[in-house]
Amino acid sequence: MKLYCLSGHPTLPCNVLKFKSTTIMLDCGLDTTSVLNFLPLPLVHSPRLSKLPGWIPKDGTMNLEKELKECAGRVFVDSQPEFCLPERELLDLSTIDVILISNYHCMMALPYITEHTGFTGTVYATEPTLQIGRLLMEELVNFMERVPKAQSATSWKNKDMQRMLPGPLKDAVDVWTWKRCYGMQEVNSALSRVQLVGYSQKVELFGAVQVSPLSSGYSLGSSNWIIQSHHEKVAYVSGSSLLTTHPQPMDQSSLKNSDVLILTGLTQMPTANPDGMLGEFCSNLAMTIRAGGNVLVPCYSSGVIYDLLECLYQFIDSANLGTTPFYFISPVANSSLEFSQIFAEWLCHNKQSKVYLPEPPFPHAELIQTNKLKHYPSIHGDFSSDFRQPCVVFTGHPSLRFGDVVHFMELWGKSGLNTIIFTEPDFSYLDALAPYQPLAMKCVYCPIDTRLNFHQVAKLLKEVQPLHVVCPEQYTQPPMTQSHRSDLMLELQPPPMPYRRCSVLNLPFRRRYERVYILPELAQSLVPTEVKPGVSIATVSAVLHSKDNKHTLQSVPKPPPVPPTKKRKRVMEEPPVAPKPLLSGAVPLEAFLATLQKHGITEVKVEETADGHILHLQAEDTLIQLEEDGTHIVCDNNEPLRTTLRDLVLRFLQKL
Amino acid sequence: MLQEHVKNTFFCWKGSLNAFIIILLDSSPVEGVSLLEVSPCLLGFISSVVSSRASESSIISFALKLIGLVAAAEDGFRALQETSVLDLAFDPQHWREEGLWEDPCIRIGWIHGFSTMLQHRQAFSFFVRADSIKPLLQLQTDTSLFVASAASQMLTQVLMFCHPLSSGFNETEVDNKSSSSSITGLKCPNATESDHESAAVVTEILEFLKRRMLPKEPSQLHQSQQILKLLASILSQAGPSLQNKLLLTVGESLEELVASNYSQLTRPLMDVILAGYSSVGGDVKVPDPILSRLLSVMLNQREPPDLIHAAAAFLCSGHDNRIHMEQSAGILLLPVDIITSLTLLEGNFTVKEHQLSMMEQLKNKTSCVSMICISLKYIPKITLMAPDCRPCPPASVVGAVLSLLRLCSGLSPPSVAGCVTVFRNVTGSGKVQKCALEALSALSSSPEVKVMLVEVFTLLIEYLNHPDSDPTVLQKSYQALLKWIGVCSNLSSITNQLKQDLTQVVRKRVCDMRWEVRDSTVEFLGHLAGLPACSTEDGGVCDISQYVLGGCCFTTPLLMEALHDPESYVRASAISALAQAMRNSWRQGAVPTKEQAEIVTQLLEILSQDTEGFARRAVLQFFITWFSSYPSCTSSPLLMQSVRSVLLQGCADLDWEVKVHTLDLAELLMDQAFLGQHGYTKGLESHPAQPHPYAVTAKQAYTLHTHSGTHTLSSDLDGLVKQGLLSVLLSGLFDCDRPVGLKACRLLIRLKDALLLRPQDTTDAGKTDPGLNCELLSQGWAHEIRNVLGMEDRTSGTDAHTVTINVCDLVKCLDLEERLDVLTRSSDHFYNSPRSLLQDILTAGSAHAQQDSQLKEEVIVDCY
Repeated sequence: MKLYCLSGHPTLPCNVLKFKSTTIMLDCGLDTTSVLNFLPLPLVHSPRLSKLPGWIPKDGTMNLEKELKECAGRVFVDSQPEFCLPERELLDLSTIDVILISNYHCMMALPYITEHTGFTGTVYATEPTLQIGRLLMEELVNFMERVPKAQSATSWKNKDMQRMLPGPLKDAVDVWTWKRCYGMQEVNSALSRVQLVGYSQKVELFGAVQVSPLSSGYSLGSSNWIIQSHHEKVAYVSGSSLLTTHPQPMDQSSLKNSDVLILTGLTQMPTANPDGMLGEFCSNLAMTIRAGGNVLVPCYSSGVIYDLLECLYQFIDSANLGTTPFYFISPVANSSLEFSQIFAEWLCHNKQSKVYLPEPPFPHAELIQTNKLKHYPSIHGDFSSDFRQPCVVFTGHPSLRFGDVVHFMELWGKSGLNTIIFTEPDFSYLDALAPYQPLAMKCVYCPIDTRLNFHQVAKLLKEVQPLHVVCPEQYTQPPMTQSHRSDLMLELQPPPMPYRRCSVLNLPFRRRYERVYILPELAQSLVPTEVKPGVSIATVSAVLHSKDNKHTLQSVPKPPPVPPTKKRKRVMEEPPVAPKPLLSGAVPLEAFLATLQKHGITEVKVEETADGHILHLQAEDTLIQLEEDGTHIVCDNNEPLRTTLRDLVLRFLQKL
Repeated sequence: MLQEHVKNTFFCWKGSLNAFIIILLDSSPVEGVSLLEVSPCLLGFISSVVSSRASESSIISFALKLIGLVAAAEDGFRALQETSVLDLAFDPQHWREEGLWEDPCIRIGWIHGFSTMLQHRQAFSFFVRADSIKPLLQLQTDTSLFVASAASQMLTQVLMFCHPLSSGFNETEVDNKSSSSSITGLKCPNATESDHESAAVVTEILEFLKRRMLPKEPSQLHQSQQILKLLASILSQAGPSLQNKLLLTVGESLEELVASNYSQLTRPLMDVILAGYSSVGGDVKVPDPILSRLLSVMLNQREPPDLIHAAAAFLCSGHDNRIHMEQSAGILLLPVDIITSLTLLEGNFTVKEHQLSMMEQLKNKTSCVSMICISLKYIPKITLMAPDCRPCPPASVVGAVLSLLRLCSGLSPPSVAGCVTVFRNVTGSGKVQKCALEALSALSSSPEVKVMLVEVFTLLIEYLNHPDSDPTVLQKSYQALLKWIGVCSNLSSITNQLKQDLTQVVRKRVCDMRWEVRDSTVEFLGHLAGLPACSTEDGGVCDISQYVLGGCCFTTPLLMEALHDPESYVRASAISALAQAMRNSWRQGAVPTKEQAEIVTQLLEILSQDTEGFARRAVLQFFITWFSSYPSCTSSPLLMQSVRSVLLQGCADLDWEVKVHTLDLAELLMDQAFLGQHGYTKGLESHPAQPHPYAVTAKQAYTLHTHSGTHTLSSDLDGLVKQGLLSVLLSGLFDCDRPVGLKACRLLIRLKDALLLRPQDTTDAGKTDPGLNCELLSQGWAHEIRNVLGMEDRTSGTDAHTVTINVCDLVKCLDLEERLDVLTRSSDHFYNSPRSLLQDILTAGSAHAQQDSQLKEEVIVDCY
């Protein structure tokens, strides 16, 4: 069993498991942090961004002025943003049989895997994962396509050139593998391969293994996966949460007794408690509005935003924000808000029960109804006529490099009254803000990451007790910035197996058993002998037939009648060999000695050993070793004696 | 007949027996007249209860206590003994045979009866002859905690009672402490016999203590605890001679117990040792060597958690033993020393010996948190020790607490030497954070710590800013900040950056999701405004709130916003804080600003519309503060105008506290108008010691401003009537809530006094002054007054619905004194007076007598 690790990002994993002749890809997360190296794509022409000076190296040896621009002391690539894809050279992607998706954030690289790679397999995901994943992909494509950029910068990627660039461009890894965003056609084609599954539904893969998604409590339809054969069980834990938010709670018990547990997607903010952050979010929001400023919340169009809106629903009145407009701007805003209301069966119990009242499970429906929350596909169109300040705007993309958020940054960045509140943990907020410096607007960083923290995961592992744990190497040491926090790492016995991008791990368990079926007629022919009460055994002679990972024992076909042949002699020499009988039982010492005496062997010296006894027949100069699982007669040059002794031993054993 | 009634009715009288006992004790007879003489029927009642087989256990218990009361007097004792009721009543065997001894109610009655009775030698002899000491000793470890505790108390009493006897009258040393309860002054016909009896009892008790003190198996730990409690109680009361005797007898067992390391016994053992220590008083300065030895063992050789408890107990006891003080302080500082890796105990090798074992204990989360919390609780005491005695300077202790707080919140890394496991135990622990913040608050008043102000300030702001701080932690952070700001007269070390950080965090917290946090923040703003002035870096004097937060221009808008908070507590706190914030400007007599007018409008709105009482009460308090702070109330039209509305709305409120506050405001109004007038007494002077029990007391004494104008009483009164004062007082008088009625009645009496005692010439003027009339409607309280007065004769009005009445006549006719008397007595007074009880009993009894006498037992009188 092998694990190929195609992504080094612990929360955007992409691993391939080879297990019992199947090749299973576990998630295909897309690392979008690479876009932070690019200039923002403004929706409305930005004089500031368009007038940025080109970067000129000090020695003047390179001419990258067109590709690289200098902004606020940093160098950015002036091109369509590109993403860092999962490793595609480690393994032939066309050999992948299935892809298991655990949540909508971990499927953004799907088109890069399934399209133009020869992939012919199936993708398994839950319905909300597919639908919301589609929304996120559509949004991404939309963000990119509506601000087309003719230029594609590639020269800076030249190794020699890159080495000369200032950081962080200089330190960017695998820049040659960075790719521009896919198009809608690829998205549709990739998603057409998705087959929907429900929680705990068992899916057979080629008869070899069974895969089954379990609720992971992180987002709508998010799942962990169990991959098991008859005798082995692998658990794949991706983004999971034990907090009571909107999704169905995490199913922990089904993870028990795994041989290997692959652990990914822990919280990226182990020291930031989501409740505390939510509180910070609300108070900073209220503080800004009261002071007459606007609040910008760069966020994904699905996920935490539902919880934020729910929290605000309760907070609006207590903070006297009843008259403040809340805007949600995204090409998929409407669908996202509506989808969240229709996936009742994937929601937590509280929300599910609301559906029977009947009431919408999320209170944002009421916010929309009362006109407190308004949503728009983009800043163009209706929004510009409805826009009222001070207000709160939720919009993407959290990287601040594309999407409507770029416009608001340009609009509000100059005033100290306004605040930008970062809630998504995926991007460093300082890097995200870099091209907008100098910035007068206040910045508040309250990342809300509801995924498991180290304390919770330690408790979980103690409960489910996997034999081995495999995890990204980042989890085996304290975070770089907090090297003293030994509580922010996994400490397990045996220690977890760490992986990094491009690792290939031999998973530490040997398959010992395989299920084999026996045909009824063959079974009928068996003659079991009871060796001890309740245990019978029989010898089987059969043909093992293996097909589609299913093994069957069939009766041995009768040999066809031997055609007359001239080589008769040879046939006579090789009669069909019957299998030797199997012996069982033990040789009782006293009785055996008595028998020996009867046969005239009297001088026997008995020596006790760790495994049994050694009988020294002194007169015959012969040794008989009686052990639990074997008997040896050491008798040189006296074949008759040996045969006699053998027969005496056999008298005490059963034959099968 | 009466006796018969009393007895019969007692059988059906449940639940009020103890009340009756209290009443009997309270209404103690005139000196020289015994209880039996006052109520001779009691004797018959007692003997019939004791001998009756049908008596209920609660009745018997009551009877036993009653016997104790009666027999406490020698003649009562003799009378009871003559009827031989005593032997029967105090014989446990008798109750056992009746199958009643199992009931704890009987056992407690037995103990209480005996203990009340033991006031004279005859009773004591009876106690000894009945061999009651044995059952009493058994009851000391009774399954019922109440019984066991009562038995312990009685054993102490018996020992105190008989020790002076057993030690002989000729002995020069008579225990001073026990002399009050002794009967050495009494003449005894056969003193020698009595001495022997006493000595035997003392020996028996001491032997019992010695025998039962050591637990033979863990199940007997509870018993040992009980014995130790008893011992502590005896030691704290015993004089030197008894103490010596006691320690000689049990000293060995105590030493054995101390060496045995039973951690459950640490606290009771320390109680015993410290009780022994405390009782060393007077001229005897040197504690018993046994006690000193025991204390040394407790502070040296126990397991760390026990050591901490022992050290805390010693530090608390306030004993002046230098060695033990140092030792205790060191032990209490050790956990913090270990966790923070700050060298608080440099050179203290005795304490450092425990470092390893303490470290092991700290690795366990529960014991770690518990030890640190105890340590933190007593740390402030250590800083108050004499400089040559304390292990380290107070500033280092403050530094250590700050360091611990940083570790708790993950704000700073643990030092390399610190143990990671220990660090994990305190990280995020709310309990440790709270204890540490309390310690930090307390440390503000320690000497030599002011140098730490900036560090404390910085950390507390970090705490206030921390997203994960829970509401209680934030509240405690605010409290600590206030304490530190309050004690530091010079805040010049607070940098602008710190001030800016504080304003920022306050601005954020006032918008917090949790109402508790908003409430604490608003309260903080109020308290800060209430602090006295501080000196600034340029040597000037500045208002603290102004200096730290920028004053009203920062505070007021935040508080005004908080007036709209959905949580009533926050609104109430905001109103109080506004009052604090504006007090200074009021004191200076500043003309109300437009902003203040806006606040007044909002407050009046709250008073009339807010659904919660807290906010409305706070509004009243606001106006009371304003009125009492402003130098010349009449010169502020805004204030006078709003006072009128407040009075009108306040007296119509549904909440009785709001009404009482309204009357407080009315009182201020009266004081201002009449003070200095002939016959008028200031409220606080007239009834200094009678605040009614449920009343909310004002946070500060009101300052009264005597007016120096030339107004006459009549014109003043006219003004007050126009302000609505009279309707407030009269409506209050007829209010269904007693505190309101009481307050209104007192104010009306003062008004009456002022009106009636004024010089004659002004009275005449007053009679003709139309301003001294008031109008009565035919509804509500006015209707009530009309009824009281029989209005037909006195009306002079023209409208059938409204009548006008002269104020003087009105206050004269209301019979205010009688009303005050009734209101002062309270409802409890009526229902619980012995007369009332007895009347009830008799009424119930006679009611039975008239009905079927078979049903007597069925009737239960509900005693309110």
